[in-house]
Amino acid sequence: MAKLSMKERYSLLTRDLDWTPTYVDPKDVYPYTRYEGIKIHDWDAWEDPFRLTIDSYCKYQAEKDKKLYAVIDGFAQGQGHLSVADARYFNSLKLFLQGVTPLEYAAHRHFAYLARHLDGPGARFAALCQSIDELRHCQTEIHTLSQFNKYYGGFHDWSRMHDRVWYLSVPKSFFDDGISAGPFEFLTAISFSFEYFLTNLLFVPFMSGASFNGDLATMTFGFSAQSDESRHMTLGLEVIKFMLEQDEGNVPIIQDWIDKWFWRGYRLLGLVAGMMDYMLPKKVMSWKEAFELYLEEQMLNGLFPDLEFYGVRPPRHVEQAIIEKEYVSHQVYWILYQFSFAAAFNTTVPTDEELDWLSASYPETFDRYYRPLWEKARRIQDGGGRFFFQGLPQLCQTCQIPMGFTEPGNPAEIAQRHSEYKGERFNFCSDGCQWIFDREPEKYVQAWLPVHQIYQGNCGGATVPEVLDWYGIEQGSDNLEYLTSPDKASWDEWHAPAALPGGGK
Amino acid sequence: MSTAKTRWVGVDLQDSDDTRMLVEAMEVDNPDVTVRHMPGIVKLQSATELVIKRETVEEKVGRPWETHEFQMNIVSYAGNISEWDDDQIVIKWEH
Amino acid sequence: MAVNALGPYDFPSADRQENFGDDMLVHVLWANNMMFCSAACFRAPRAMPWEDFKAQLMDPWAASDPDYEPSAPKGWALDGKPFNPEPGQSLAELGVVHKGLITFEA
Repeated sequence: MAKLSMKERYSLLTRDLDWTPTYVDPKDVYPYTRYEGIKIHDWDAWEDPFRLTIDSYCKYQAEKDKKLYAVIDGFAQGQGHLSVADARYFNSLKLFLQGVTPLEYAAHRHFAYLARHLDGPGARFAALCQSIDELRHCQTEIHTLSQFNKYYGGFHDWSRMHDRVWYLSVPKSFFDDGISAGPFEFLTAISFSFEYFLTNLLFVPFMSGASFNGDLATMTFGFSAQSDESRHMTLGLEVIKFMLEQDEGNVPIIQDWIDKWFWRGYRLLGLVAGMMDYMLPKKVMSWKEAFELYLEEQMLNGLFPDLEFYGVRPPRHVEQAIIEKEYVSHQVYWILYQFSFAAAFNTTVPTDEELDWLSASYPETFDRYYRPLWEKARRIQDGGGRFFFQGLPQLCQTCQIPMGFTEPGNPAEIAQRHSEYKGERFNFCSDGCQWIFDREPEKYVQAWLPVHQIYQGNCGGATVPEVLDWYGIEQGSDNLEYLTSPDKASWDEWHAPAALPGGGK
Repeated sequence: MSTAKTRWVGVDLQDSDDTRMLVEAMEVDNPDVTVRHMPGIVKLQSATELVIKRETVEEKVGRPWETHEFQMNIVSYAGNISEWDDDQIVIKWEH
Repeated sequence: MAVNALGPYDFPSADRQENFGDDMLVHVLWANNMMFCSAACFRAPRAMPWEDFKAQLMDPWAASDPDYEPSAPKGWALDGKPFNPEPGQSLAELGVVHKGLITFEA
């Protein structure tokens, strides 16, 4: 008997298992897919190029896991953490574990919901595979990164910190915005915008950063996850085309979502920009270079001409992101530097070599605007002090980042926007964040803004030590300056030249 | 007449031993492919399309190979997966 | 444009005035000093006299920059309009709104 072809097998084991219910109205079986105004006339038009069935899915995912865990074990057994470029590097991983790993879990939950609630069997199966993928990513990230918890600060309580700490409300609120939206908006926000359009700007900095800095374990995790990401990217592209092709009326709705989620994702990736330019002892490339390659070249020049066919244009506010590539990384790390007394990672002034690299990478802006700040920070440090922002910052209502962003093209002028809703004032860092608020104010007025919550007494108390305690941040070991940190002290001790036998009198 | 910017079709592969053979196969079936080695990754790009043919890969690896195995090597791609069946995978832009 | 929702969608704002009692949130921006990544956010009584606000809240924060002189601020603005606060005037009397912005240069 002839073996089934991939196409036939896929068809028989996924969509051919579906049926039209007879005892209930199909609309009652799938109650969430109409209220957003997106019209789907034919779910069978959904295409899944990977044509995976559950047996091949399980086979290949298991193989990926075996390969990864072998490397994690080897890395741990071989004291691999000692081979990274410098202990400063671990701060990028703290940011990842605290900020990104919880999003993987949230994605797992939400794709499971979609695996139940999308009308079409092809779409449901793709969502089911992605749900299991995201759980695997969450678990493998926890396994990979928790081994550093034995030796370094900041890795011990990521889940609690994600729910409470000020800079982590940025990724948390980003994802909460998505999971509280309808299924089609979520798919546009996460599958298309985050996992296709913006994905390389998240993954390449962290994973190549791991590779360049001697972190074999994280790099291997990255490759293991990235092979799943190619399926996720495909889902993102497919869902966008599917929705656009199903009904012309879907186009303006989707355009609005593309606009919103580009900006929300871009502001979130500001944290990555700061990380890649400042937290990696060995640089992969600058944020500016990554942005030019992955966003401008691959997406704006590659993807969007394809989408033009459907009447979709590049996202509004993308011009500002292009202008900001010259300086946004400096703005974000400058925020993190002066607030790291309240963060679960350390920061420090870049070395002279790094300052020169920054000058060369950002010839238009670094020496004029940012080098003087770092030189002053260093003078304060040389004088026995350490520059910190002694207070709480103004936060943007939408992206929830301290409002350290500036008027486009002018790094010296902090941007201020505000809107009034039902007699109350709300502040924003940019036109993009204001636009997002203005189209759905009922949603964003509920935002749990860390600074305002501290002032309402909801974060453990009125003093910094009480708030840090509530955050789960261990004062003196998770936070503050890198040069005087336990991480550095341990690193120096473990890398000290071995003592000579006999004591060497 | 305007000069359109080149829309590269590409695939990034993990730099492993299996990938070495895969790259050789792709070089056979994609004469205009450029191959760049970066730490941990091999970047393949084409101005038109990229095709991975099972038969060519099998010749190179010296054992049976199914197209689903490609998932073990891929890191990322630019373009559209236009076709994926038992015999080949095609990546290109549709419009 | 309203939120598209499955049912009624009307929830109280998390930071409305009444959540702060007789206090308000006030932002202060040192406009021409890039040492500060952003404006600061303070919680202050609406009845707080300007001189107390400056001495007890604003000055200690601005002194994060060791070059700050408390007598140096000028070019005051409140939400973009020129602002000349008298020491005894309260924030409310001065027209500072909840979550409003005071700017200065030095």
